[in-house]
Amino acid sequence: MRRAPIVIGATAAGLAGVLSFHTKPASLTLGGLSGASVTRTSPTTSVAAGPPTGQGTSGAGPTSTSLTPSTSTTSSSTTRTATGAEVNYNYGLLSVVVTVSGKKVTKVGIGFLDDGGNFRSQSIDQQSIPILEQQALQAQSANIQGVSGASYTSAGFAQSLQSALSKLHVA
Amino acid sequence: MTSAATVKDELRERPRAIQHIERVMGTVVTIDVFPDEGEAGPELSLALARARGILHRADAVFSTWKSNSPISRLRRGEITEHEAPAEVVEVLELCAKARDVSGGWFDPWAMPGGVDPTGYVKGWAAQRALDVLTASGVSGALVNAAGDIASFAGPGLTEPFRIGIADPSARGRLFCVIELAGAVATSGTYERGGHLIDPRSGRPGARVASASVSGPDLGLADALATALVVAGVEGLPVLDALAGYEALLVAFDGTARWTSGFPFAS
Repeated sequence: MRRAPIVIGATAAGLAGVLSFHTKPASLTLGGLSGASVTRTSPTTSVAAGPPTGQGTSGAGPTSTSLTPSTSTTSSSTTRTATGAEVNYNYGLLSVVVTVSGKKVTKVGIGFLDDGGNFRSQSIDQQSIPILEQQALQAQSANIQGVSGASYTSAGFAQSLQSALSKLHVA
Repeated sequence: MTSAATVKDELRERPRAIQHIERVMGTVVTIDVFPDEGEAGPELSLALARARGILHRADAVFSTWKSNSPISRLRRGEITEHEAPAEVVEVLELCAKARDVSGGWFDPWAMPGGVDPTGYVKGWAAQRALDVLTASGVSGALVNAAGDIASFAGPGLTEPFRIGIADPSARGRLFCVIELAGAVATSGTYERGGHLIDPRSGRPGARVASASVSGPDLGLADALATALVVAGVEGLPVLDALAGYEALLVAFDGTARWTSGFPFAS
């Protein structure tokens, strides 16, 4: 099988502008084969496309985010973004958006989050998700299939991330 | 939605995991299956359904949060062990063995409120779910019950699964990476601290920040990880008598101790 090392090109983006609190009927979503779609932007495009419309994802994705084309010697510097499957986590539903430049994961963020509008869970989400983004970048750089001792939230986060990376052929 | 062409392209290029997420036992269980031929057949669908059934059945029988579950009724003395479903007797026998091999550091009978096999059940159920998938002829499978992980083979033809061990002193960071052969469970004070009762005092207590145990069976690994968080370094010798089980302890100051065969990734 093909397995390329992933080099982290940037830290996770901030949460502002990528969190959204929709209300929609909860449904179990399978990752993998029924997962996300992929959008591509050219290397010279400075504004990444929003999240794809599959899986009911809508609204505030990573719009108007500037991406600097990779300066590495990677053969393909095409910037691509994929949204992972929506998965259940401890407080509701989430999906992860990941951006790669060539084989580099350059950004990990939340594409969709529905915690039912509960204030307490919003507070927990906002504390834990930046940490999860950081962990995700580290985990992908370590090329692992899971984390032992992880929190409940991170299981859902990792699952959605994995499905997004699978769509991009980088994990 | 993903186009059919995209899915086919991916199937051709690399082994594909079938990913499944089950919300059960108060947490999220993720199941990754690597089919033998890259396609999910009816046997695999059946095995997945049976694996899910095992998890939900374990939840129904053993949840101490559900007041009418058999384990809750047993704890209140409304039924005896032998009036409970057969799994209850089986799990309590396994718990008794785990108590013995752990030198008493894992002891469901020392929990407040009556016998509580919670520290065994999650790993036991995930291991049984994995065993069903393994028997269906897949090339690799991983069942991750919120950080307690049972596995068979690996994601490809030759390489093992690689699993990160969470750093207990810095959430969001990995302490190390291991190459998994079988199961790994991690217990720590950072998750559900309340269940870490020191059986010798009957009160909450922990001597290390986290303990990870790898070995052939996730139920026993789960119980031993719980035992070692409470026992600390003093508990490490119990692993000497257990073929195939290895442990990593991370102390509150961030230093670590491990058994000689702990499967750190190179």
